[in-house]
Amino acid sequence: MNLAIFLLLIGFPLGASIACIFIGKRWLFQTTTIAGALFTAATAGYLTVQVFCKTSVSAQGGFFYADALSAFVIMIVAVSALVVAIYSVGYLDRQVADGKIDPKLLRLYFILLNLFLFTMLLVLVSNNLGIMWIGIEATTLATAFLVAFYDRESSLEAAWKYVIICSVGITLALFGIILTYYSALSVVHTTANALNWTALMSVAPKLDPSILKLAFVFILIGFGTKVGLAPMHTWKPDAYAEAPAPVTALMAAGLVNVALYALIRFTILVNKAVGTSFAPTLLMIFGLFSMGVALPFILVQKDVKRLLAYSSIEHVGIIAFALGLGTPLGYLGALLHMVNNAIVKLVMFLAVGNIRLAFNSKIIRRITGAIKVVPATATLFIVGMFAMTGWPPFGMFVSELTVATAGFSSGNVVPTILFLGIVAVVFVGFMWYVSEMVFGEPPATARAGEPSIVSIVVLSGLLLISIVLGTVMPGSLVDFFYKIVTVLKG
Amino acid sequence: MIDANNASRLIDICAATILVTAFLIVSSRSLMFYVRLFALQSLLLGIVALLVVVGYGESHILIAAVLTILVKGIAIPLVLNRIIKKIEVQKEIAPSINIPLSLLICGALVVVASSVAEPILTAQHQTTQTVSKVLPSSIAMMLIGLFIMMTRKKGVTQIIGLLTMENGLFLAGLSITYGMPLIVEVGIFFDIMVAAMILGVFVFRINQTFETINIDELRSLRH
Repeated sequence: MNLAIFLLLIGFPLGASIACIFIGKRWLFQTTTIAGALFTAATAGYLTVQVFCKTSVSAQGGFFYADALSAFVIMIVAVSALVVAIYSVGYLDRQVADGKIDPKLLRLYFILLNLFLFTMLLVLVSNNLGIMWIGIEATTLATAFLVAFYDRESSLEAAWKYVIICSVGITLALFGIILTYYSALSVVHTTANALNWTALMSVAPKLDPSILKLAFVFILIGFGTKVGLAPMHTWKPDAYAEAPAPVTALMAAGLVNVALYALIRFTILVNKAVGTSFAPTLLMIFGLFSMGVALPFILVQKDVKRLLAYSSIEHVGIIAFALGLGTPLGYLGALLHMVNNAIVKLVMFLAVGNIRLAFNSKIIRRITGAIKVVPATATLFIVGMFAMTGWPPFGMFVSELTVATAGFSSGNVVPTILFLGIVAVVFVGFMWYVSEMVFGEPPATARAGEPSIVSIVVLSGLLLISIVLGTVMPGSLVDFFYKIVTVLKG
Repeated sequence: MIDANNASRLIDICAATILVTAFLIVSSRSLMFYVRLFALQSLLLGIVALLVVVGYGESHILIAAVLTILVKGIAIPLVLNRIIKKIEVQKEIAPSINIPLSLLICGALVVVASSVAEPILTAQHQTTQTVSKVLPSSIAMMLIGLFIMMTRKKGVTQIIGLLTMENGLFLAGLSITYGMPLIVEVGIFFDIMVAAMILGVFVFRINQTFETINIDELRSLRH
């Protein structure tokens, strides 16, 4: 029974991807993709309920494994993928009609989008750290041609950079996994299980601390590259700017959390094996550094998608910082921030997609008077900006407040003040950009009228969830978050 | 029949030769040589894996050994050769650090590698495994691969650098753990193969759009 849930969860996107290869009609492969994403999300919901009742679910002798942490990220990924699948249909149809995309390439897009979802879910349901690694590398490969989708000089360059940098990073992570395996082999005697996270957790105190420390450094650099922590972030602005808007949205909302998930799994293991001072300190340093590096690029930016990419670097920095606090409250802040960041990044990147369709540009200077051209999208864009910069009543306000409280109460006063300062400056920067883009006189070339009503409904729904997370979080959800914190405590 | 003792001696010789191929790549100026040396390196690596199978009875890496020889030793080099011939690039490599200095740096990297490998090997109690002697060479290869990627900016050389890193990684896995479990090893292999193919396609398309595969000249994206 459990096995069936796992197989369905990864089977729907894989099946949809394969089906798209053989389906010729445009409407049919679009419907297949949406249906696949819908069934995936439903299965994810069912799995979450199961995990909520039983703490953890595993199948196939521990090959598949899900606890509250996995279910949490699976939900984020599955819902983001559903939103992106729905949005992609309208967005790409419009671009095909405008002659920006060759209609023949449309099918490739949907094949790869489904494959991308499959690879992300593979990471999240695997107990085996080796399979987890394979899944993460596969996400890079599945998205490589999506980043290069427009086949411009700049998008090929971005895709090249993306694959090279992420592959090098992930190679280093694999060395970390080999080291972990090496230290496990002397304690776990059945080699088949020696890479399973649950098996490693049960013998964690017996693992060699010095080897695990070295392994964690490699893992942090490796998966940190995929997360987009500075100084390994350099692929991110290029790839985010060049990929089609819905793909960028799924990378920023889904992929980032998948890579964070892998990093968190290792952090839990290393914390248990070597004590809670080593890994958290490194995470805090990388987190603060990422925020600091992103800041100047947020303040001086010409391209709105690159701007949001740097915002993503800033926010993963906040999450790493919160994880680095190493207290339950810090963990709670990090988890809340993961989901809030996902929601807001979906809203912002997809709203920018609509704006791009209307203005045929992503250069901030060329976008003026959006409120007159695409009033609903522009409103969502403003509201999304407030949500992204941590204003009440949105979820990010609560998560940033939690992180700050956790920071002060754990005695990290100076880093926490730095964090709050960066958040405040970023807000001022975003206010300026948004007012530039939304108000004023639109250029004559802008095409008035909302590109898609469906996208407005979906994005409004997402903002509504953000408000719920920021105000009246339901009790069962709070319970669920506490369950995940328990997993993080090890 | 080859016993563990003989196998370990042969593995040492192969590992040393593999490291030499990495140095030869660094000292080479021609793209063709890069590809040939990489092919040689992968074949030797496959032989090391086979020796581990025969000498230590670790039959689970037999498939990985055969795949290494077929894919990394033969298929990928053939594809890279085709790419080089087809796009008729300027076959001379202009490294950003000159060759004598590069070799010196790589020599230093070997020293770094052995000092990194030392604590890894002594930390674990049962280091009687003779294979673990090649750990320093494998870490050195990873570092040299990274160095190639950082200083040789042609598309094909970057791919070779990445694959050299991955060969080093495979050797490291063999040396301290006798290879990962089969399903993991095969999955990793599949990923690497697809990555090399995708990068090959990109080199091709980049060449079509800008008539250069010198990554140094890709500078349209800057902040």
